[in-house]
Amino acid sequence: MASEKQHTGSSLLFDILQQHGVQHVFGYPGGAIMPIYDALYDSDVEHFLCRHEQGAAFAAVGYARASGKIGVCFATSGPGATNLITGLADALADSIPIVAITGQVPTSAMGSDAFQEIDIFGLSLACTKHSFQVTDINDLPKVLHKAFAIALEGRQGPVLVDIPKDIQLAAVENSLEDFSQLKNKVKLPPANVGSALALLNQAKQPVLYVGGGVGMANAVDELRAFAKLAGMPSVSTLKGLGAINPEDENYLGMLGMHGTKAANLAVQQSDLLVVVGARFDDRVTGKLDEFAPHAKIIHFDIDTAEINKRRKADAAILGDLKVNLPALAIPLSINDWQLHCQQMKADFAWDYDHPGDTIFAPAVLKEVSDKMPENTCITTDVGQHQMWAAQHMSFNDPSNFLTSGGMGTMGFGLPAAIGAQISRPNDCVITVTGDGSFMMNVQELSTIKRFQIPVKIVLIDNGKLGMVRQWQDLFFEGRLSETDLSDNPDFVMLAGAFNIKAKEITTKDQVSAAIEEMIDHDGPYLLQVKIDAQDNVWPLVPPNTANDQMMEKT
Amino acid sequence: MNRYQLAIQVDDKQVVLERILQVTRYRGFLIDGINAKVNTGTHIGYIELFVRSDRPIELLVDQINKLIDIKDVKVTHNTA
Ligand SMILES: Cc1ncc(C[n+]2csc(CCOP(=O)(O)OP(=O)(O)O)c2C)c(N)n1
Repeated sequence: MASEKQHTGSSLLFDILQQHGVQHVFGYPGGAIMPIYDALYDSDVEHFLCRHEQGAAFAAVGYARASGKIGVCFATSGPGATNLITGLADALADSIPIVAITGQVPTSAMGSDAFQEIDIFGLSLACTKHSFQVTDINDLPKVLHKAFAIALEGRQGPVLVDIPKDIQLAAVENSLEDFSQLKNKVKLPPANVGSALALLNQAKQPVLYVGGGVGMANAVDELRAFAKLAGMPSVSTLKGLGAINPEDENYLGMLGMHGTKAANLAVQQSDLLVVVGARFDDRVTGKLDEFAPHAKIIHFDIDTAEINKRRKADAAILGDLKVNLPALAIPLSINDWQLHCQQMKADFAWDYDHPGDTIFAPAVLKEVSDKMPENTCITTDVGQHQMWAAQHMSFNDPSNFLTSGGMGTMGFGLPAAIGAQISRPNDCVITVTGDGSFMMNVQELSTIKRFQIPVKIVLIDNGKLGMVRQWQDLFFEGRLSETDLSDNPDFVMLAGAFNIKAKEITTKDQVSAAIEEMIDHDGPYLLQVKIDAQDNVWPLVPPNTANDQMMEKT
Repeated sequence: MNRYQLAIQVDDKQVVLERILQVTRYRGFLIDGINAKVNTGTHIGYIELFVRSDRPIELLVDQINKLIDIKDVKVTHNTA
């Protein structure tokens, strides 16, 4: 008599993943997670084999950021688990909800320095929002439900669940329980609406400083309604890009180290900063003591610990932006200030003049942005190309610009694009990368090949670790230490090895046709854009300097 | 440096003490002493933490409060 296959911890894991609506996971197998991969064999959950656990973690991050759903990744114990860490750290810094499942050696072997045993639970403390190690099979369902709830509640973040092999194999009754949402544990103090309204009414030169929290809270509509009614000049952080409508006449662009001159000057001149889902990051504020020196602060956030952390708030509005933004949306009479800011925006508009035949990356990225289909999702790596993408491309939603903000992790772009494309199969996904960053997770070209993922890759090739080279030129007397990449591989041939169509361009006259060919191409495509190794990102606020002391193109 | 004493109530979970110590060190507070015990009936742990820092204690209280297994944090002594 054929008996039903026994339910185990591993099969229960997939049942619970499906209860939470998980359709896709990213991972890499190994000894201590084999029972889970065996259960995967019978599961409807679709698994994407990445070629490095870091790739799997970033694919989960890209998946989550592009879709708003939770991202899930799997890795085995020991080296598999440690390879996830950079991805977890990245997700923690940018508050991205992912759940990482790691295999662990059997409970009986734990603590014996067993083969491929590492204390990933201990390692996770500094790089996750929360983590669990399951040592009793009866705890498994509750832990998994909690992991999902914690990843999503309040300020979102990565959660790791470490599951020893014997727990994966343990027999369970297959009775799926209902799970109830966790409530935000931290009781938030009441929003300071009265003082905030008074500050708004007194302000003559207010600026709206928009961060990544807006997209995370799903509050883009509420933010835009607030900005429109108030008519307030606005600026965005790197992670906030896309929250404000880029067509808004009062929008001044990104602020901070590589922000626009108009954005940084407006903030420095402001008498009130309305901070929404942002955290006064050092790359935003420059010298903190001299950041927005005349401004009072209204700070909207979901995380109590961000209030007064780097800048004292005159009014704190804690809680859900979807509720709190409408409560403070009022019209303001700030006509002169609006006109002043609009004038700065016009006076300091981008200049795309670049003499000679060599390609100017900002112009290429602007053209990609103008030509890409609506709702295209852009991912980037880290460096000059990242800042140029942030400066010169336009996004109509934060879920269309995925970049490693808090951690600044090279190697993010390609796997994040894979995850984004899997979560949004009908949208165009383009990764903007550099010749240094691209090589950090280049193995994921194999993932693209296997699943024929139609990601487009724009490789801005300066033959350098450009951003570091720029700093060496500006701040280290031009002593170019270990930033030369002139012996890069042949990227077109490399793409060819993965059956990916590719083209190299070197002069301006090739740009338009190449961009069109890339966008029109059905499958994956790599466009290698050769640029001058000397091109710098401008403007630049030097480290520990006030934001109005920016260096500009000479 | 200012000295502070915190009274922390926690769910008796694995690593909760490690989490508190990690956050305390990372956020720039030096530990002068610690007392910890668990009520095995209620599964609630009580931790007294003595710390020193130039930073305002609210920074640490907010971060400890964010940890999942924390029930309550109070500053019971403050020389600032
Ligand atoms: C994993 C990691 N290692 C090192 C760095 C430091 N870093 C920041 S930008 C950069 C250079 C990036 O070079 P490339 O990807 O070619 O981009 P470019 O600046 O040339 O556009 C480096 C090494 C980092 N951000 N991430």
